[in-house]
Amino acid sequence: MPELLQPRRRFLFGMMIATHWVAPPATAAPDAQALLAASDAIRNPSQPFKATVTLTEFERGVQVNATTLVSQARTLESGGQFVSLLRFVQPARDAGKVMLKNGADLWFYDPSTKASVRISPQQRLIGQASNGDVVTVNFARDYTATLAAEEMVQDGERRNRRAHKLQLTAASEDATYGAIELWIDEANAAPLKARFFADSGRLLKTAYYRRFQNQLGAERPTETVIIDGLQPQSVTIVRLTDYTQRNTPAAWFQRDYLPRFSAE
Amino acid sequence: MRSPTRIAFAATLLAAAAASHGQTDPLDLQSAPTPQETVAESPLRLFVEAGAGRIDQRFPDDERTGRRLSVDLRYNRRLSDELRFSFSDRLDHASPTLFGQEDTVNTLREAYLSWQPEGSSATLDFGRINLRQGAAFGYNPTDYFRTGGLRAVTTADPVALRQIRQGAAMVKGSLLWTNGGATLALSPKLRTVPDSGSFAVDLGATNSRDRALLSVQTRTSEKFSAQGSLFLEQGSAPNLGLSSTALLGEALVAHADLAVGKKHRLRDQILNTPAAGKRTVQAALGLTYTLPNALALTLEFEHNGAGLEADDWTAVLNQGPLAYQRFVALTQPHQELGARNAWLVYVSQKSLGLKQLDLTAFLRTNTDDRSRLGWLELRYHWPQFDAVLQWQRASGKAHSEFGALPYRQLVQLLGVVYF
Repeated sequence: MPELLQPRRRFLFGMMIATHWVAPPATAAPDAQALLAASDAIRNPSQPFKATVTLTEFERGVQVNATTLVSQARTLESGGQFVSLLRFVQPARDAGKVMLKNGADLWFYDPSTKASVRISPQQRLIGQASNGDVVTVNFARDYTATLAAEEMVQDGERRNRRAHKLQLTAASEDATYGAIELWIDEANAAPLKARFFADSGRLLKTAYYRRFQNQLGAERPTETVIIDGLQPQSVTIVRLTDYTQRNTPAAWFQRDYLPRFSAE
Repeated sequence: MRSPTRIAFAATLLAAAAASHGQTDPLDLQSAPTPQETVAESPLRLFVEAGAGRIDQRFPDDERTGRRLSVDLRYNRRLSDELRFSFSDRLDHASPTLFGQEDTVNTLREAYLSWQPEGSSATLDFGRINLRQGAAFGYNPTDYFRTGGLRAVTTADPVALRQIRQGAAMVKGSLLWTNGGATLALSPKLRTVPDSGSFAVDLGATNSRDRALLSVQTRTSEKFSAQGSLFLEQGSAPNLGLSSTALLGEALVAHADLAVGKKHRLRDQILNTPAAGKRTVQAALGLTYTLPNALALTLEFEHNGAGLEADDWTAVLNQGPLAYQRFVALTQPHQELGARNAWLVYVSQKSLGLKQLDLTAFLRTNTDDRSRLGWLELRYHWPQFDAVLQWQRASGKAHSEFGALPYRQLVQLLGVVYF
């Protein structure tokens, strides 16, 4: 997979570890945290980027909502925090609204009221923006991984894949979920499936990663099927398109830039 | 060749048929298409709102029908890599109206040019700008440029009222740095008195005095941010403001707005009593808690040191309807708190039982005279249309803030079309 061999230190580091594990010495134990970092690097470009996100919501198989967002994201140099700005494009009633996530610093901006409102992680978890976390957040920074099993798992394309099952537990206050079960491909560390749990142990959502395409120099999942934990007939498909490299300045990922980002 | 819309529709019908037989597998579902036109965002945002309802009024004591039609337009266009133009306007036609107001009112909310050097964190704006400050829901004492903002009052919801207010003419410069920034706004006197004409630009309401605002904001951690302000106004002593927010837990957010400066008491202004301004504290403190079922509950305490106390209400309302009209004129267009102390409970819930049904409600209580204003809205969404049911009730003794409101109860149905 030559497209995976990019000259980016962090990504390469993750892939080197992953490649090492694919063909390990007979006695070597896989480094779960490195596998997780490698999987993160497949979901997220290491360079600052912009992408279009389409969220399609279904109830009992019938489409009930479709939302289009423009996402700009980057990893901050100081602290390594993965930060994102999401701007609503459609539906028309929500156009221009903006969501900022910078760790626990969460803001919602409404251009009609000019109000920037701080929101709690619980408030964000309820909205559709939290489904963006399933797709674009970096887990290795906020979770500790252990290797739970090696097993066959059905992926988002209904193919049976040999996978590492990682057990992730929250390791920082920024962690959105209490725990995550993550299945990643034994062959290339690509994410295949994940189950997200609340602190109480309640299953919040199940995600299947699929439609891998070459985007910004790597094979990345461009679609994620998210099934609600409490109501399995509530399904959201998150599709990412139009990946472009965009070096958004770090200073823009704060409350006072939201009106400006809303108007872009 | 079939259009993507038709294919999507057919797929939806097939999915619905499968669902009715309990056969839906989430992995069979397909994403909605992402056509290019959705990504190339339209510079124009337009909606039309029309409604009718029944008004139970106090003066005279009878019922009548109310109607409203509103056209709301926002236009935002990039003129070059560094220059952007923003325009925002709203037209309201309502009947009946209060206190001799025009039944048709146009509000030119914003019209300004914005310059931002490419990749820079500095911006310069020039024109009529709706500069909003403060974190509180119902009362923002540090939102200095709210003065003269409201020309038409089409709702009791304090959050929705901010959607229809007009900005002030100003030059505004902003500079951002990592975890902070500063803003300087200079707003000159351009007219002397407000103009209530239907299509007036009404700079007399927003630019009747020279004003300047310097604010500096900082983010000390992921969980705390604050903004300090110095506001100068021609003929008034400097006013200092502090606005802050804090994340107190996984589901709990706090906000606090505080302004200190010399103010004339509202009672003296209404009764034309000569009195010097006194150092006055105005504040709003609140907590927002989000329940696991998506209900967000905000409790806010509001204080205006220049507002009316219980005895003041009696003194003002004993002067008759003209004094009450003066009270309304001194508070309503400026979103000023008329009461000395008030509580606001604000509730919002997305997907109330149904995916597309939202609930918003509030209860405002004047703690001095115990009068109350309650308001509730149910809003059902379709892709480009909202159906809205609103209910509002004002209660209290005759000589009280909400007991003297002309409308005792209002029930109305609204339709909103988004283009």
